[in-house]
Amino acid sequence: MLKGKGISIGIGIGNAKLLKKEEVEITDFKVENKENELKYFKKCLEEVIEDTKNVIEKLSGTEADIMNAYLMLLQDENLYKETEKLIKEDGYNSAYATKIGFEGVEKIFKNMDDEYMKERFSDIEDMKKRVINKIANISELDLSNLPENTILVGKDISTSDTAKLNLKNIVGIIIENGSENSHVSIMARTHEIPAIVGVKDILKEINENNRLAINGETGEIYNNPTQEQIDELKNLQKKLMEEKQDLIKYKDKGSITKDGFKVEVYANIGTPKDMIKAMENGAEGIGLFRSEFLYMDSDSMPTEEEQFNAYKNVLENAKGRQVIIRTLDIGGDKNLKYLNLGKEDNPFLGYRAIRICLKEPEIFKIQLRALYKASNYGKLSIMLPMISSINEIRKAKEIIEEVKKELKLEGTKFDNNVKVGIMIEIPSAAIMAEELAKECDFFSIGTNDLIQYTLAVERGNEKISGLYTKFNPAVIKLIKMTIEGAHKSNIFCGMCGEAACDERFIPILIGLGLDEFSMNPTRILSARKMIRKLDKKECEKIVEEILKMNTSEEIKEKLTEYVKKIN
Amino acid sequence: MQSKVLKIENETGLHARPATELAKIAMKYPCDIKLIANGKTVDAKSPLMIMSAGIKQRTEIEIKCNGEKEEEAINEIEEAFKNNFGE
Repeated sequence: MLKGKGISIGIGIGNAKLLKKEEVEITDFKVENKENELKYFKKCLEEVIEDTKNVIEKLSGTEADIMNAYLMLLQDENLYKETEKLIKEDGYNSAYATKIGFEGVEKIFKNMDDEYMKERFSDIEDMKKRVINKIANISELDLSNLPENTILVGKDISTSDTAKLNLKNIVGIIIENGSENSHVSIMARTHEIPAIVGVKDILKEINENNRLAINGETGEIYNNPTQEQIDELKNLQKKLMEEKQDLIKYKDKGSITKDGFKVEVYANIGTPKDMIKAMENGAEGIGLFRSEFLYMDSDSMPTEEEQFNAYKNVLENAKGRQVIIRTLDIGGDKNLKYLNLGKEDNPFLGYRAIRICLKEPEIFKIQLRALYKASNYGKLSIMLPMISSINEIRKAKEIIEEVKKELKLEGTKFDNNVKVGIMIEIPSAAIMAEELAKECDFFSIGTNDLIQYTLAVERGNEKISGLYTKFNPAVIKLIKMTIEGAHKSNIFCGMCGEAACDERFIPILIGLGLDEFSMNPTRILSARKMIRKLDKKECEKIVEEILKMNTSEEIKEKLTEYVKKIN
Repeated sequence: MQSKVLKIENETGLHARPATELAKIAMKYPCDIKLIANGKTVDAKSPLMIMSAGIKQRTEIEIKCNGEKEEEAINEIEEAFKNNFGE
């Protein structure tokens, strides 16, 4: 079995069509008639431009945009200036001049440390090959007329070839090079064609018309598969289709247990763009919008306006649903180039998140101003990360009040009902939940850090990975204290860690009375399906039993069995 | 001469589409239009040269317009940056 990186989910079974191109032999001979040679080059280039325009006519949407950008590059005189000079002044033949001239341009892009720009290298390379083929009078591959059930196999599929593909008969794509951001990868995902990239020497392993079966999720490729392997993949394909069909039913349904206990399933997002995925999957709100993307990959502190635009965008797209935005959570494993935090021996126990914001209120205030200004565009809630004591809430709220006062003085409108809540991710906060709840509007439990801090286990350390588990009875007790603490003050309690979408863990959370479950958008529908299968009273009984257990293993086993039973 | 310092908000910087959009606007004007970023000065009417400057998100870019209709040119370019080139 061959293996690559699956970049477009699905199962494809079909016959291989190899995309091999004729290589033109190029030598550096010189010509007698420079004028004629230059005319010939211009004619060939013009024909390639015409071919491209013809391809674009049949396209629409993103694919047309991509090819239009390609066309503009092809028509840019800077692309062929050097080539023309090599013909006009030095008298080289046009094929050689094209090779050398275009390669000079390729070099600029090849060395860029940016995935998107690197793709331009492939574009220029493709243009070079097409012009040279035109000069040598080699016709282009015909990709518009492929037989049914074709799996394309190639070293690379260029932008122009991608545009020419007739997708109707293509059931899979395998590429030796390429990345997730290649045009062909984007196209494969848009059209839901299973695709795999990064398979070394694939053209040596597979022959024309070989029977192939591929799994676009795992990246597995079966060359001449056995009937057994085909059956297995077909079953998997059927299952995937059924699951997808089944889950989509839950998009507009409520997250409500059999006995009528209503909760909410929200989405965790990292950028405003993720809102599309959240809404497609029926999110009832945003439980965690990480604001870090604004600060990371940037050379300077994001301005108030930049932040405002991002928050406004998310709030508008949420169409009245609650959006919980977490304030700056850097430090720990996330550092910023322009904010010199210094090296720490123990960054997870060090200067991070709210601790930075309280010590450097100028940074915090810019974010708060942007948040309150954006509050006019939707239902905003603000969440403070890494709270370990009540003083931190009080201090943060003082700064918030100052910002509100400033805005009022300036005459800037904002929503006075913005909720301010805290993340519960440090054991001390869970233990003091009842007291903390009196001073804020909601809780959200961050299980990843809560587990790490409670058990003193680093998540990424393989030697001790067995110790890192949400089924640890101490962790469950802290979650219980947190939810109960919130409810005593009549505030809601959510969870935005990985545990919230684990179907074995959902019964405990329902039993404990968690109000809001926030997770990666792709997990929402299956979590909602699970919630709808549960009975709250039964879950409460399970919680009672679990609270009597002393080991993670027992608890995990009990819950695994329970989920099996109700599924 | 007109000059303005602008920033690209696009997550992937001035990649293919916004770069060609910028060149398209620049080409409409008779004046000379230059783009200066990362210490390089390039012709803003050439999508290839714009892309070759490797401009990432939030890089500071200076646009200089010199000649006929320079004011209109710089205003339209500024507007396009503000709208994030329609993305």
